[in-house]
Amino acid sequence: MPSDTIAHAVGVPLHGGDVRAPADVFNSIFEVFLVLGTVVGIVVVAYTMYHAIKYRDSGSTDDPYADTVERPQLGEKPTGGTGGRKVFYSFGISAVIVVSLIAWTYTTLLYIENGPDESQAAIDAIEIEVEGFQFGWNFVYPNGHETNSLVVPQDRVIKLQVTSLDVFHNFGIPELRVKTDALPGQYTSAWFTASETGEYTAKCYELCGTGHSLMVTSVEVVPQSEYDEWYADTQSSGNGTSGNVTAAIDAGATTAVGGAPA
Amino acid sequence: MPTTSSLQIGADDLAFPRLNALSYWLYLFSGILVGVSFFQGSTFAGGWTMYAPLNTPAYIPGEGLGATSVVLALIMFTAAVTMGSVNFLTTMYRMRAEGLRMRDIPIFSLSINLTVWMMLFAFAALLAALMILASDHVIGTTYFQFANDGSTLGTSAENPGASLLWAHLFWFFGHPEVYIVFFPALGAMAEIFQTFTGRRLVGRKWFIISMVLVAIQSFIVWMHHMFLTGINLPIKTIFMATTIGISLPFDLMVFSLIYTMAKGRVRFKTPFLFSLGALLLFILGGITGVFLGAIVLDYQFRGTYWVVAHFHYVMFGGATALIGGLYYWYPKMTGKMYDEFLGKVHFATFFVGFNLLYFPMFIAWETPRRVFEYPADLQIWHNLSTVGGFILGASMLVMFYNLFVSIWRGEDAGESPWKYASTAEWAVGSPPKLENFPGLPSYASGSLEFLDDEEVAERTGKPPGAGVAADGGTASDGGTARNIRAVTAPATPTAAAHETGGEGHASHASFWPFLVSLGGFIAFLGLSGVRTGSPVYVGMAAVGGLATVGSLVGMTRESFHAPEMAIAERWPFEGVEKMKLGMWTFLASDVVLFGGFIGSYAFVRVAYGWSDWHHDLIPAEHVTMPGLINTYLLLTSSFLVVLAMVAAKREWRGATTASLAGTFALGVGFLVNKGIEWNHLFHIHSEMFPNGWTLSTNIGSSTFYLTTGLHGAHVVVGLVICGYMTIRAWNGAYQGDDKPIEYFGLYWHFVDIVWLFLFPLFYIL
Repeated sequence: MPSDTIAHAVGVPLHGGDVRAPADVFNSIFEVFLVLGTVVGIVVVAYTMYHAIKYRDSGSTDDPYADTVERPQLGEKPTGGTGGRKVFYSFGISAVIVVSLIAWTYTTLLYIENGPDESQAAIDAIEIEVEGFQFGWNFVYPNGHETNSLVVPQDRVIKLQVTSLDVFHNFGIPELRVKTDALPGQYTSAWFTASETGEYTAKCYELCGTGHSLMVTSVEVVPQSEYDEWYADTQSSGNGTSGNVTAAIDAGATTAVGGAPA
Repeated sequence: MPTTSSLQIGADDLAFPRLNALSYWLYLFSGILVGVSFFQGSTFAGGWTMYAPLNTPAYIPGEGLGATSVVLALIMFTAAVTMGSVNFLTTMYRMRAEGLRMRDIPIFSLSINLTVWMMLFAFAALLAALMILASDHVIGTTYFQFANDGSTLGTSAENPGASLLWAHLFWFFGHPEVYIVFFPALGAMAEIFQTFTGRRLVGRKWFIISMVLVAIQSFIVWMHHMFLTGINLPIKTIFMATTIGISLPFDLMVFSLIYTMAKGRVRFKTPFLFSLGALLLFILGGITGVFLGAIVLDYQFRGTYWVVAHFHYVMFGGATALIGGLYYWYPKMTGKMYDEFLGKVHFATFFVGFNLLYFPMFIAWETPRRVFEYPADLQIWHNLSTVGGFILGASMLVMFYNLFVSIWRGEDAGESPWKYASTAEWAVGSPPKLENFPGLPSYASGSLEFLDDEEVAERTGKPPGAGVAADGGTASDGGTARNIRAVTAPATPTAAAHETGGEGHASHASFWPFLVSLGGFIAFLGLSGVRTGSPVYVGMAAVGGLATVGSLVGMTRESFHAPEMAIAERWPFEGVEKMKLGMWTFLASDVVLFGGFIGSYAFVRVAYGWSDWHHDLIPAEHVTMPGLINTYLLLTSSFLVVLAMVAAKREWRGATTASLAGTFALGVGFLVNKGIEWNHLFHIHSEMFPNGWTLSTNIGSSTFYLTTGLHGAHVVVGLVICGYMTIRAWNGAYQGDDKPIEYFGLYWHFVDIVWLFLFPLFYIL
């Protein structure tokens, strides 16, 4: 597998750059929610305060609304006040806003869940297995190479299969808006692409013991050519380091990727 | 809470006063045990959510006995909560003032009613989770370990469902718990709004329907805490829908509160300031919650300060309303007014501190939770939060000072210091007398009145003074000219006469609940260290266990009678007497407990592979026959309980005793048979299981022993009761009064029915 996949890789076009990145999806939705949330917040809070202030008790003995409103009496059997219709109108408006907002995000959820269109991106996706442990991360590349920090090429779809070797962790790279739970005995999946090269940070987002805060590692996004060089270097030591711990998963991952670590 | 809501619904006391005492003492000692656990170390080392497998002994540094004690303490607390729930529900359904339909009870009491319903079921699920966790800690089952040998590094999972099982159990409790905490605040808010706006709650009917909907839906949203655990898209979609669905009734309630102010006479007293503040905070919490409802956003908010800020706006927003409630009912509780100026100072500093503490967290939301490092550019926000935290803390000192000093310096509050207060607690003196009301409360005429003895006697056909006094809690020397005292009349001298009500009110002074709880405390503290083999811990476990059982027997033998109200609204349980209703309520929670155990078994088995399970984990020696025999024994024993009831009704003493003794014998036979079976399985030497099939062997043995063991424990409890009743029957009890046998029978039949589920699940499938 190793040598011919590398050869194969060189000719594969870089589709990852055409794929809408999860970070982009998140940021655009978040923006809309922030704007709308702020507007709704200001309107409702102002509306509440308007009622509180407008109907404050002036201290006069005469009840200004004596004709329309009956005041509660001590010992009365509890009943409702008049004016229920307005409650329904307001409720209706708020329900429409909330439901349509969430429905609007649902299509993007499908996108994040299912990943980019297979025909477009699957052939050049890199599938990496992520193993959380107290207190660090282990990344297993398709060739069996294992590292404690992540190196990925720019503009490529990176698919993660995440698990844990001990307790409940959560793997996240905040800047790239990718996050998923790392559970012992199970795999969860997530994917991302990075259009900018540079150094990012992966963190653990679930309290996993005393060293939880230290469970960070670097994520290096490099140009494709640099990655290819780096990846070729891993070939020699690659399969050797893959212990029986990961052997079974390697087999699965390799077939899923279709033998293509670009 | 008990005081206010029993006052509001017109009950003179809780349905089971002694159970209330037991519930209180268990609660107190569970708190003490939590305190003690900190000295043993590792308490909540894995955070309050205690995610598996970090919560198992394999991951707890050193001996870490505190981690075990705290789980046992929570079990004790849950027991207290369950007793309290049974008690509250029975009270609310059996002891409402005449004329108060369920929908008529004040909104605060209604919120408590729904809270307690949620508690009954949610805490039963928590109890299942805690019992399983405790058994992993104390007796070595392997529910939450993913490798049988407890090894901590590897991917060969022998129990792949371990981690998710805990998450499901915990959040099935955890999400309703959010509403359990919030509902009383919501009720207090609505009550305070009504009083301080001088308006009845607008859209009250829909407000109530919304609350009921939330209470029901609260049990079908828990997986939104687990969106990233790899649950599949259809389930995520369903839980997204239910989550958004549960937010809508809250929208309605918010608008209902806003419009209640319209055309009101709003007075900005301290209780109202806190309630209005709570409403504003809740609006912010609600809006930021919608962000979390969008799953794509939720993924990235997971484990960050956005979640922290959001739930503090909601939950601490709720606490804000409860502080308002404290000011509101303070004059009722103490008879004195707090200082209004200091109250307002408290609110101002509290509200500023609150927002300074939590709002910056939205801005600095990228900070991961439970991590002490954060990006430098977020420092200013974290600093502001810290300052806000101190202001918030300091503001509470103002309240404590105010409320403490006002007990002596406050002005007399009278019956009601609040204009437009309408609920029943404001119609009695402050603080209320032990018997709550100066007569039997009734809303039959449309508004609250107190019936005196003669009136009650006339209505019930009993002579005045005979039993009625005890029932209604009124003293027979009250002697007023009028039969009915309308609440709008000023307090009459008769009220004073009730102080010396003599035997009027059932005495609550029983020492046994305290001793039971103390015994339980010692036993649990001992259990926490049993796995170390230390004689101190083992000794404490034994002594405490004996003390608990001994005091329970003492409590049973003590003569105690809490009379029911002579006239009360009891829909929909007019035909179900108090004890029976209490028993049914308890069994309802027990169903959820067993549901938790059976569901856990099904979950880990499916995660393992349903059919591989039997092949890989269960020895050939585990045969059907012992289970079949036990099924027969239990079913026959249930039949004998029915015979005992018939015999008691016909006053055949011999037959009653014989039937109960037969039940007892069959139950003992069940346990002996089970003992033989277990002993055999413990000591098998097969190729697959050379060292026997014990609790720790694998997840298959763990689920088998623990689930059937829980059932066995229920049988043991039943047998203790049955043995006690057999002796009493022999001495001539129950003749013509088969009720106690019926209550026992309900329990015993329930235990049988559970077995009918366990038998196929653990012996056939």
